[in-house]
Amino acid sequence: MKRWKAITGLGVSAALLAMSASAATASSPTKLVGKTRGVTLNFMIASSGPAETNADKAAAVAWGNSTGNKVNVINSSNLTLQLTEAFSGGTPPDVFYGETPMFESMAKNAQLLASGPLVDPASDFYSSLVQAYTYDHTFYCVPKDSSTLAIEINTAMWTAAGLTNANLPTTWAKLAYDAKALTKGHVTGLVMSNSLDRVGAFFAEAGGSYMNKSDTGFAFNSPQDVQALAYLQGLAKKGYLKFTPGDGVNAGWGGEALGTGLAAMTIEGNWIIGAMQSDYPKIPYEVVPMPAGPTGKHGTLVFTNCWGIAAASKYTAAAVSFVKSLASPAQQLKFANAFGVMPSRPAVAQEWATEHTTPIATGTETPNVSAFVQGDAYALPQVATVGFATVETAFNNEIDGLASANPQQMLSSMQTNAQALLQP
Amino acid sequence: MATVPPAGGPVTAREELRAGPETAHNAGRPKAKSGRSPLHRGENLFGWLFVSPSVAILVLFMVIPIFLALYVSFTNWSGLTSPFSHSVQLVGLTNYRTLITKPGLYQTDFATSIRDNFYFFLFTVPLQTALALWLANLVNSRFLRAKGFFRTAFYFPSVTSSIAITIVFIFLFQGNGVVDSILGWFGVKGPDWVYDQSGVFTNILNALGISSPGWGNHMFIGLSLWNWVAGPSVGMCVVIILLVWTTSGTFMLFFLAAMQTIGEEVDEASSIDGATPWERFRFVTLPLLRPALVLVVTLGFISTWQVFDQIVLLGPQNPTTITPSYFAYQVSFQDSNFGAGAAVAFLLFCLIIFLTLLQRRFVKEDLTK
Repeated sequence: MKRWKAITGLGVSAALLAMSASAATASSPTKLVGKTRGVTLNFMIASSGPAETNADKAAAVAWGNSTGNKVNVINSSNLTLQLTEAFSGGTPPDVFYGETPMFESMAKNAQLLASGPLVDPASDFYSSLVQAYTYDHTFYCVPKDSSTLAIEINTAMWTAAGLTNANLPTTWAKLAYDAKALTKGHVTGLVMSNSLDRVGAFFAEAGGSYMNKSDTGFAFNSPQDVQALAYLQGLAKKGYLKFTPGDGVNAGWGGEALGTGLAAMTIEGNWIIGAMQSDYPKIPYEVVPMPAGPTGKHGTLVFTNCWGIAAASKYTAAAVSFVKSLASPAQQLKFANAFGVMPSRPAVAQEWATEHTTPIATGTETPNVSAFVQGDAYALPQVATVGFATVETAFNNEIDGLASANPQQMLSSMQTNAQALLQP
Repeated sequence: MATVPPAGGPVTAREELRAGPETAHNAGRPKAKSGRSPLHRGENLFGWLFVSPSVAILVLFMVIPIFLALYVSFTNWSGLTSPFSHSVQLVGLTNYRTLITKPGLYQTDFATSIRDNFYFFLFTVPLQTALALWLANLVNSRFLRAKGFFRTAFYFPSVTSSIAITIVFIFLFQGNGVVDSILGWFGVKGPDWVYDQSGVFTNILNALGISSPGWGNHMFIGLSLWNWVAGPSVGMCVVIILLVWTTSGTFMLFFLAAMQTIGEEVDEASSIDGATPWERFRFVTLPLLRPALVLVVTLGFISTWQVFDQIVLLGPQNPTTITPSYFAYQVSFQDSNFGAGAAVAFLLFCLIIFLTLLQRRFVKEDLTK
């Protein structure tokens, strides 16, 4: 019967709604309401682990003590599901982790308080992150943190293959050379997840993008994007590049491939640091920026959450004050050190980078993070268009077979599917 | 939305049984007179009073949600507001059209989910029924020792959490996992089971030298005919094995209960008449098991179209094992498109009703022979 729960849940919550017809009407976005002392805020998070949960709880207690309020921290294992239920039931949490895939839908339905400028001016944050949380020219929600992609290299394999610092993959040509040199026996030179969230970085390097210049439509079938996918296909055909899972590499993601010695190089975000420390402390690795494309352009992808405030909250004034404390420079540095996410403010990110400069990390060491931090300046944010997840899945399903596929055709069909989302 | 099918299960089951044990049970009783005596006058009222709690629960948690889901399937509800708020618009048949007639991703995905689930259904129902029948026959044998142990052992997979079992299966069938290692002993290189998207039928046809003939390129509801006849993907085979193994225990119990109502004298009589064990099973036991068989097949018809939790665990991005009920969930929550999600659930509902009616028709015709 378990399978019914998820599906019936929606019907049931809808039924309950029908009866308690007191659906909360969205308050005017800029007007803050409610007391700022003696209130209890509900704060829904989707924690990556105990380190993050504890850091969030500590931040909540600190704000509560200094302002005379209380915060109830709710850790959700399925945030999308729980937030959807809470919003449709008219009782959303006051503050929550906003995720890119849900963002546009929330903004469109006036469920999200346009709280960005109320917390801090957009210029305080990386523009790629602000762009990710801007809808209809309104900066809706303050970026919580950021994660960018970089290349992680197993340095033991690197030196064994006779490669030196002069060979570091700073360009596509060098990356191809390194991947070839490192592919040996059961080791694949470069392994990455079979996802647009990895492949897309190469689009940016070739000078392409997800959206067109004026941001009015998609641009997946641009010559640059096709060139990027064709470049990856060249590597895949020769076996220097493999995708995971399902392309013959027995690993769930790039970090596992690197950690179990199946990959000499992988492409992952800064979340890999925690996994290498806890699961694969014996692997020595270094982090280098993504390569530059044929025109010398740098490119990577950025992933981010934001501090969402519900428009229906009764205490938006207190919620804004709470988010202000969460997004403050000092608190961002605390979060970064507690669980390895990158600060969303350039100034704080630079400071964090100066604290972690170990060139080759093993055990519980944190590697040089500057490769991740510098990516923030030019990274491409995820697509937030409602319904894009399905389009992306369809594309991802074809990546395992890239070696024998037609890149132009793959991108054209994604373009058609994505463009269909924009037509009502 | 898809709340309907479970109600379908028990109801059909009950109807099937009506012909069997229940009538036999009532046979000895005197028939109730048509005119009620004063003593029974209040019975009707009390009857309704006693069933009212369960009726209320049914209405609240089944009937209302079903109609709400039907309403939602005609709207563009995002799931983030009240379904009756002014931002929700009625869009007529648009959601159904994007799934069935309008070329696009939803049409292809929906067709794929129907195909995947159809092959799953096609293999699972006969296999689980046959296995359950065989196991029941085995543990019902007079000559078997430690019956209790075997009955428990065979029933065990059914009572274990499906989540736990699925995770164990994922470990067993992962690339270079236990199953592949065992195949390796015989010099067979096993596939990357769970993630292998290729269809079993197409693999066989490819091995025979047939690959994508001309007729295979014709499109039908968003998929080429070649894709339609692909058969279950290698990944889906894992789910089939998993489901057959876990459900056969429950169905074994159904068969076992039915077998125990067959008197020993029937068996003995047929033995005396010179029937071999196989003939005894085929011409004596099996016909007497008919009500149980119909029940098991009906439940199998319904439940195979509702498979969900195993699919979720096998990987949300896994294209080889998409079923309509999972697709409905994905469309609703991932794309915030509850209208289309509800439409998928209703199409699935209609499909289940249709297949169940079809199955009952065949069974009836068979009975009149």
